[in-house]
Amino acid sequence: MVRRHFIRRIAIALASITGGAVAAGYLRQYFPRIAGEKRRISLGDPNFYPVDTYTFLEDHNLFVYRDHEGFRAVSAVCTHLGCILEKSSDGFECPCHGSCYNPSGEVTSGPAPRDLSWFRVGRAPDGGLFVDPGQTTQPGEKFLTS
Amino acid sequence: MDENQSPEVIAEHPEEFDPRKRVGRITRNFFLHIHAPRVHPHSLRPDYTFGLGVMLGFLFLVMLFTGIVLMIYYTPSVEMAYQSVKDIIYMVPGGRIIRNMHRWASQGMVIVVFLHMIRVFYTGSYLGSRSLNWVIGVVMLMVTLMSNFSGYLLPWDQLAYWAVTIGSNIAASSRELTDLLGITSLFDPGGFLKTLLIGGETVGQPALSRFFALHVIFLPVTMLVLMGVHFWRIRKDGGLSRPLQTVQGKGNTSKWYAWPVLMWTELALLIGVVLVILLIAMVADAPLLERANPAYPENPAKAPWYFLGIQELVSYSAFTGGMVVPVLYLIFLFSIPYQDHEEQYVGQWFSGAKGRRVVFISAAVALVVVVLQLVVEVTIGGLRDWIPGVSQWFVMLLNPAMVTSAIFILGSLWVKRRTRSTRISAMVLFTASLVALIVFTMVGIFFRGPNWEFYWSASQWPVI
Repeated sequence: MVRRHFIRRIAIALASITGGAVAAGYLRQYFPRIAGEKRRISLGDPNFYPVDTYTFLEDHNLFVYRDHEGFRAVSAVCTHLGCILEKSSDGFECPCHGSCYNPSGEVTSGPAPRDLSWFRVGRAPDGGLFVDPGQTTQPGEKFLTS
Repeated sequence: MDENQSPEVIAEHPEEFDPRKRVGRITRNFFLHIHAPRVHPHSLRPDYTFGLGVMLGFLFLVMLFTGIVLMIYYTPSVEMAYQSVKDIIYMVPGGRIIRNMHRWASQGMVIVVFLHMIRVFYTGSYLGSRSLNWVIGVVMLMVTLMSNFSGYLLPWDQLAYWAVTIGSNIAASSRELTDLLGITSLFDPGGFLKTLLIGGETVGQPALSRFFALHVIFLPVTMLVLMGVHFWRIRKDGGLSRPLQTVQGKGNTSKWYAWPVLMWTELALLIGVVLVILLIAMVADAPLLERANPAYPENPAKAPWYFLGIQELVSYSAFTGGMVVPVLYLIFLFSIPYQDHEEQYVGQWFSGAKGRRVVFISAAVALVVVVLQLVVEVTIGGLRDWIPGVSQWFVMLLNPAMVTSAIFILGSLWVKRRTRSTRISAMVLFTASLVALIVFTMVGIFFRGPNWEFYWSASQWPVI
């Protein structure tokens, strides 16, 4: 190999490595360090929630269901494209593309790829309830209050 | 035209008809010299180009000038964006008109950019050395659509919020596949794209800031650069495409001077474009819904009309309808000039009578294929309604979006084998996908109501 060609190859290699590193570092700027939004959500006084009813928590996009035994919490975000579900007579329905879920959050029709997530409900030291969106549970699992 | 002026007239005004002077008007002017000093008469035939490309340039100018006014009064913050748009409408003198012009010119661009692509395709103007310019054109189509998409988050109304929520989740929809394979935690291209686009899990201030930056600087500058290259390539490729017999054997003698013929035509077109947009802006208001409410989607939550074809497809499957099929379509568009090299057809509408017949037949077949599937989809529902609990794999693969694509691709390959013509098979696939795009868009616009259910007319929508 001619010396000139050898030097050219080395130069191109070095320039590519540098360029790649700069590009990767630059692209990294678009991905901020965000703390997960999965903090516990305070539900407050359990007596606030009517029995045998799904209560929609607007600020957290959750349904909290209370029956005579206890509490359950299910995500109100459609697994298809993130619209907010409506409670229908036989489960949940998405207004955007018509996915339907049964009361256990399982997909029954439409394009949704996954079932809804249920989240752990617990009691905070102050006696109020909380939902932990970081912890999923089985659909039937309740936080017993009675 | 005035090339054939009588000698007496020329003798009276010799300086007006001095060729050097006419050439100089163009070549000495930085802005005008995107034109060649002389153009072939065929390039000025209104029934060949319809002036669509030039029209797009002028619409883009309207976007730039109205956009600057809007940008001065608009505040890209979640708290203030909606109010600042209201201020533009009610407080800024003429602000309502400026905003309307911006909106209608942007929709005009979407329509004209497709018409321009259709014109260029059916006249075979991507053939030969023009292949690169076709590819640049497809990129400009994407930039136009992205500009529209980024623009409609900015008012921060209900349409804005839910359209971008849906859009950003389409970007993340490859998770449908990675979830099925169970590798999302290791390899998540969907999450990468979504975070890049909106800077978080849900649409909020980071999304608004990003879309603002895209909309007012990144995309317009990209567009300007691409416009420069696009126009420059036209000159490098020997002017606008035209039939081979007009190219061979004739020199510059048969061409017209761009000054004054082309210049006056373009000025008339500019005035026409601005006038039409202004008139529409005076009678029709750009919509502005209620302020964005992250807890309650609109029902039906419809994207702007030109994205409703895609919305119809994602209502079958987010990943295959929203990602796979549109990406296949883009790959097809990009690859056209590299599949088809039949240069003898350049500058001929539909490559002659046979091609015209092929276009009609493939349009009719495509119409039947798409409408039949829609009838099945609407009357007996999707796969999940036939077989409850069917695997997500089948929902993804067996839906009208994927089946239509498969039929079209196989059909065009079959035509290619039978006719041994890449041009004919390209026309089959292009026509079929165009028909499908139009039908799906029409269904999304006119026949979908609350919960994305089928209704013959909006008057039948239930009251919710």
